[in-house]
Amino acid sequence: MHEDIILQHEIEQWLYKESELLDQLNFDGWYELLSEEISYTMPLRINQMEKSKPDYSEATLLFDDDSTTLKLRIDRMKTDMAWAELPPSRTRRNVSNVKIKEVSENEVAVHSNLLLYRSRSTDTTADLISGERKDVLRKENGDWKLVSRWFLADQTSLGTRNLAIFV
Amino acid sequence: MTTTSTKQVPRLDEMTRSELIQYLKDTVKPEEGMIPSYIFSHPKVYELEMEKIFLKDWLFVAHKSEIPNIGDFVTREMGGQSVIVTHGADGEIHVLLNVCTHRGMKLCRMDNGNQKNFTCPYHGFNFKNTGDLIGIPFQKVVYGETMDKSKMGLKEIRHDVYADLIFATLNSEAVSLEEFLGDIKWYLDLAFNRAEMEVVGLPQKWNVDGTWKLGSDNTISDSYHTLVSHGSIAKLGLVPTGDYSKYGYQIYTGNGHGLNLGMPNPDGFAFPESLIDEYKERLNEDQYDILKQMKNMIVCVSPNIMILISSMDLKGQKISHTSLRIWKPTGPDSMEISSWMLVEKNATEEWKRLSEQAFTLTFGASGIFEQDDTENFTDITQNSKSPYHLHENIVFNYTMGMHQEPVEDFVGPGIVYKDKFNEANSRAFFRNWLDQITAE
Ligand code: FES
Ligand SMILES: [Fe+2]
Repeated sequence: MHEDIILQHEIEQWLYKESELLDQLNFDGWYELLSEEISYTMPLRINQMEKSKPDYSEATLLFDDDSTTLKLRIDRMKTDMAWAELPPSRTRRNVSNVKIKEVSENEVAVHSNLLLYRSRSTDTTADLISGERKDVLRKENGDWKLVSRWFLADQTSLGTRNLAIFV
Repeated sequence: MTTTSTKQVPRLDEMTRSELIQYLKDTVKPEEGMIPSYIFSHPKVYELEMEKIFLKDWLFVAHKSEIPNIGDFVTREMGGQSVIVTHGADGEIHVLLNVCTHRGMKLCRMDNGNQKNFTCPYHGFNFKNTGDLIGIPFQKVVYGETMDKSKMGLKEIRHDVYADLIFATLNSEAVSLEEFLGDIKWYLDLAFNRAEMEVVGLPQKWNVDGTWKLGSDNTISDSYHTLVSHGSIAKLGLVPTGDYSKYGYQIYTGNGHGLNLGMPNPDGFAFPESLIDEYKERLNEDQYDILKQMKNMIVCVSPNIMILISSMDLKGQKISHTSLRIWKPTGPDSMEISSWMLVEKNATEEWKRLSEQAFTLTFGASGIFEQDDTENFTDITQNSKSPYHLHENIVFNYTMGMHQEPVEDFVGPGIVYKDKFNEANSRAFFRNWLDQITAE
């Protein structure tokens, strides 16, 4: 029990730290948290009959990245021509309902909710991206690294002009 | 100190329909390269567009591969109206108004699925996937013999198919789809008839506070913006710097349709080599010759379709991807983008997978090319809402390339300009648009 609480705490702190780095636009710092084997995907939410759950499609991915393509996204952000984030959006990631689903020797599968608030430029209306995350973290040289992230948004038609942000 | 002015802001909302039409004719001057700003967000202009374009034109609703089996369906929208596109029990495609004939409930609220029948959530009228009304709860009790079910089927929307693209029109008097598409078919073949194509998954959808017209305008003629808007990509070395997007042709084929064809491709053949026989069999020699040299192709089918073939080097491999999107108007100053990704059905699984990845990375909702365009669409549209623009008659400049003459030696149909830095296609697009919305 005691160990469970420590692990829960450790993982929660990791997720909060990650959110902080992204909200502070420290993308290099964020990249450090990723395993080289990272798989970063976002399937499409769809409206389907209850009986035909799951109500998403893995055939359509809104993010389909690995460490090379994530690096590319980050490098792009550093050019002075990444207009989608110039000026950068103000984002606030709220991570909650952190549930550790599986623990093995050096890996944990953790599910959580993400509520991402995005305020863009002078817009008075904010974009909200809400959804569920399924992450796998692995201990590599003493540090937890993100091995896979799967993010499923709650909207079928996203209320944001693009996904120039990370989820 | 006070300033006074006798100048009035034109009150478009107080004009009669014919005054408004006259005002549009007086201020929108495509041939002079003058497009006034107010047309990009004025509600009165939008009303005319919905009525005279979106209720009249042929609109894209689905690709045949999305509903391959009997019972498959997808729901789509045209002119703000939901429709169900079904592969009916009779083996035919039906485009059905998604409105229950009893009291107007939206019959189907799913994005896709497979169903024999659709049951209305309100009172339970039951319709076959061909549109026929087949069941009414307590029919005998509530209607006696007075209800003729055969007259109460779902309204069937006129539709036709070209290159596996299912188009529908809410206008029973529209010209045929063949005639509407005209010469753009030659280029649609390159995108969707070069091989058997299939849609991957379902369309991605996202919402932008920008007018649909900027999407079409950007598609039909604007290769010039890539230098700056997509400058980050050049900085990363993903595309050659400078004028890489200049080379090729800008082509107008009539009825508001046109394209920009990027060629030659310095990277070589960008399509699966294993399918060369299929390409050769399905395309004529001239078309195949274009395909061989193609770097990219950006097609606008009026009013609001964008078709994109783009190629890149991903993980050491030359790879192309093909997509279709619609800029669906959701208001005078907003749109929903829906984007379908397609692949050659007979390509290898590895090729398909890489092509999907290339698409998602570059032109999906998170695409690194995609992202920057929406900044332009949003800010232009929001700017244009200021009454100042009407007051001062702010006009945008569309004169690029007016000094150029079309070339005669291109193998495909249309009015063809060498190189793509030109606004001839936009001038033609807005002429077509103006003629449509001012038609009596
Ligand atoms: S509205 Fe559909 S059954 Fe009444
Ligand atoms: Fe663009």
